[in-house]
Amino acid sequence: MSTAYTVGETFTETIGPIDRADFVRYAGASGDFNRIHYDEPFVTDAGYDSVFGQGMFTAGVASGLVREVFGLHALTEYRTRFVAQVWPGDTLTTTVEIEAIEAGAEETSVEASVTVRNQDDESVMTGSVVAVR
Amino acid sequence: MPTRPLAELRTQVGETRRTATDFTVERGKVAEFARAINDPADVYLDEDAARAAGYETIPAPPTFTRTAEFPRYVPDGEGFELGFDPARVVHGEQAYEYERPLYVGDTLTGDTTLTDLYQRDGRDGGTMTFAVLETVFTDEADEPVLTATGTSIETGRAISESDAATEGER
Repeated sequence: MSTAYTVGETFTETIGPIDRADFVRYAGASGDFNRIHYDEPFVTDAGYDSVFGQGMFTAGVASGLVREVFGLHALTEYRTRFVAQVWPGDTLTTTVEIEAIEAGAEETSVEASVTVRNQDDESVMTGSVVAVR
Repeated sequence: MPTRPLAELRTQVGETRRTATDFTVERGKVAEFARAINDPADVYLDEDAARAAGYETIPAPPTFTRTAEFPRYVPDGEGFELGFDPARVVHGEQAYEYERPLYVGDTLTGDTTLTDLYQRDGRDGGTMTFAVLETVFTDEADEPVLTATGTSIETGRAISESDAATEGER
C-alpha cells in the first residue's frame, strides 16, 4: 500500500446496473444457493418484491476497491454490515474514505470506512478497513 | 421462528465444531469468484501479474472463504443446526481479520464457534433471531490465516428495508 494517504481522502468505484445474472453468478462462484437470491416464485411467495443480492456479493464488490487502494498484504481487517437489500437494476457505488492514520516507528496503520450506496444514494452496506504496513 | 426452541439452540453457544476440511484454494475457483464479485484483476487471474505485484502467487479475494461452505469441504454432520428458515434468513454482518493473504495452493481447515445466539423483537417483523458464528481458518502448518465472523438473522417476515441491521443494534 502507498504511504501517501491523507485523512479525508476518498476513493470511489461504480458498477451496474446489476441484474439477476450477477446474483446467479455469485451463487455459483460462492456456493450460496439460497433461493431468495434467484428464484422469483419462491421469494414472492415468501413476501418479497423480488429476488435480491447476497450480502456477500456486495461485500465482494466493495473488496475490489479495498484491494486496489490498500493491496491484500496490508489488509488486516475488513468489516461489513448489510443495511439494505440490493435489488436487480441497482447501481452500486463503493466509497473508501481514509479516517485515521497512525504512524509508528516500524509500521503505519490506516483506518478507512467503506460504504456502498445505490442509485438513490441509500446505503446498502457500511463497513471499515484496517490496513497496516 | 427457528424450528427449535431458543433455549435448546443456546446450549450450543460456546461450542466449536470443525466446519471445513481440505479446503484447497483452487486457481479456477479464485478466477470465477473474482469475476463474480466484479473484480477480475490481473493478480487474481495471472501468476506473473500476481508475482509482479509482490504476492507469492495468485491471492484469493478477501471474502473468498465464503466458498468453504461448498459441500465438498464440509464434514458430515458437524455444523450447527440452527433450524433457521432459509426464506427468512438475511446476512446482517460479516467481518474478517487477516494474518496474511490467502493464496492459491493453500489448504485450510475451518473451526467454527457459535459465539452468540439471541432474539430481539423486530419493529413490525415479529421475532428476529441472531446467530454469530466465528470461523478460524488455519493452513497446513496449523498457522491461522484469517478469522471470519458472520451474523445471520432469521427475520419474522420478509423484509425490504433496513430493519434487519438497525434492529441488530444491541
